[in-house]
Amino acid sequence: MTAQRTDERDNERRRAEHEPLLRIENVWKSFGTEQVFRGIDLEVDRGDVEVLVGPSGSGKSTLLRCVNRLTEIDEGAIYLDGERVTDADANVNELRQQVGMVFQDINLFAHLTARENVTLGLRRVRGFGKSEARDRADRELANVGLSDQVDSYPAQLSGGQKQRVGIARALAMDPKLMLFDEPTSALDPELSNSVLEVMERLVEAGMTMLVVTHEMRFARSAADSITFLEGGQVVERGPPERLFERPERERTREFLESIYG
Amino acid sequence: MASSTDARRLTLPEIRIGRVLAVLAAVAFWGWLLTRWINDWVLARIGIGPGAGVHFLEAEPFETTAERLAASADAYGPFAGVVDWVGSVVGAVGVAVDIAPVLAVGAWYTIVLTVVSIVLGLLIAVPLSLVRVYGGPFRWLALGYIELIRGTPLLAQLFVLYFGLPFAVWLHGVETIGQGPIPDQAFIIAVVGFTINSSAYQAEYIRGALESVDRGQLTAARSVGLSQLEGLRFVVMPQTLRYAIPAWTNELVYLIKYSSLAAFITVPELYYRASRIASRTFEHTAIYASIAIVYLAIVLTATVLMSRVEREVAIPGLGQAEGRHQGKTEGERE
Ligand SMILES: Nc1ncnc2c1ncn2[C@@H]1O[C@H](COP(=O)(O)OP(=O)(O)OP(=O)(O)O)[C@@H](O)[C@H]1O
Ligand SMILES: [Mg+2]
Repeated sequence: MTAQRTDERDNERRRAEHEPLLRIENVWKSFGTEQVFRGIDLEVDRGDVEVLVGPSGSGKSTLLRCVNRLTEIDEGAIYLDGERVTDADANVNELRQQVGMVFQDINLFAHLTARENVTLGLRRVRGFGKSEARDRADRELANVGLSDQVDSYPAQLSGGQKQRVGIARALAMDPKLMLFDEPTSALDPELSNSVLEVMERLVEAGMTMLVVTHEMRFARSAADSITFLEGGQVVERGPPERLFERPERERTREFLESIYG
Repeated sequence: MASSTDARRLTLPEIRIGRVLAVLAAVAFWGWLLTRWINDWVLARIGIGPGAGVHFLEAEPFETTAERLAASADAYGPFAGVVDWVGSVVGAVGVAVDIAPVLAVGAWYTIVLTVVSIVLGLLIAVPLSLVRVYGGPFRWLALGYIELIRGTPLLAQLFVLYFGLPFAVWLHGVETIGQGPIPDQAFIIAVVGFTINSSAYQAEYIRGALESVDRGQLTAARSVGLSQLEGLRFVVMPQTLRYAIPAWTNELVYLIKYSSLAAFITVPELYYRASRIASRTFEHTAIYASIAIVYLAIVLTATVLMSRVEREVAIPGLGQAEGRHQGKTEGERE
């Protein structure tokens, strides 16, 4: 068991040297007759923050859902840490533990307290004992500034507080990669800030993140690179300074102007 | 000066009096019923108390009073009608007292029949509704079952089970059934019938509640690594069952009353016993009024208990119907 663990860790290190943490390779996807992806390629290195932008319906949410297999791709492959996770026989529940996801509509478990929202996965998926899970949950909630709210139910929390619980819930699983799908777009601007602060701290801590957001400030300060998705393809990709100041494609400039004015 | 709205609002003492009366009525009813059951099936066996089926009260004084009132009604001139009516009420009370021991036994059958059937029905309804909503290709199977059961008369279902299938023959040899509080084979068939019937209705109520739980929560559960089944078990179902309580209470109330159909396959529950006595004594009004009161007491008790349960398990911060969706946006598509 331990020997196997060490082996795995060695493999991981070796992989890490050559492989990006996330590699999306020639992914195609359609819903019925609607072709959403026509060959998407994207690589995110360990510790990097990739911001995904694109018009409504361009498939940003779908791409995130494909990464943790909430949606299955038609063609191509997705690798996490060198492992081909889109294989039919890959362990989906294990993959999902390694990939945390934060949703636009937050989706807290309505019948559970903030703490219980975090402990559910720890107990049922990671097999933590009761007090162990509780301690871990309290630590995660403290990290997102919610020490006082551990016993509150979702309906008793503000939108910003709820979304921070959502982040704590995902982080408690010790994911390698975090997916954020417009985490602040359902929130009032004042409430967004607390969420963005938590995300910025996560960036500083070196978390690898794939973030769908139209928050200009976050994209400029935190992103290592921005990907502009449209028409089922990556239209342009580059560091924020270049993409914002000197986009290569006319279409990219138009789009960024349309959302950032 | 009190405004008109204030005048219509109940004052605190009034509410308290109402509660006290309700509690007194409940204590009297359940006190009587429990005492009867314990007396008939426990104490009587070991030789304590008046004996099984023996009256606690005598009907005689009521009967003689009623007769006397009826006989002398004419003497009261313009009030003859009222006196006559009072006489018949007193007479009805006499009848009620007379049949009370039989009603207590019938109520036992009615309550056990209802409770066992609704609980077994729930155990079937939960997976049934899950298959109906999340079961993929098996959805049609669940739908077929539900519609078949809901689309045919309950009485016909009972008859098919009772006369059409050989249950009665299988159950015939078992010794202990049909003794004292232990029901006979007709009763067991009735339980099977009501279980099947209420499972279909309960499944529909639960389906409604199931669909009111945002699908995004199941997605979120899967995104932390729970399987679909675990997500349903730990996230969706606990909320669904809470939201289903009001509709489920309706089903319970229906079942309490519809359990009287078991009389048609000879189950000696409340209605069966009452109708047998009525056809012998012709005291129809008094007898059916008596069982109406017993049904009413059982139904009210069930309603009060369930609304208490509903309050007990309510999710803090959530109203009964609002607040099931958290974000400002629509739930995610699957
Ligand atoms: N489960 C599904 N079934 C059918 N079509 C789907 C499904 N999920 C997504 N789509 C379609 O795929 C396209 C991409 O949707 P997606 O939600 O990924 O876009 P998006 O870029 O996230 O848009 P938005 O900015 O509005 O969130 C849309 O046209 C949508 O209608
Ligand atoms: Mg989206």
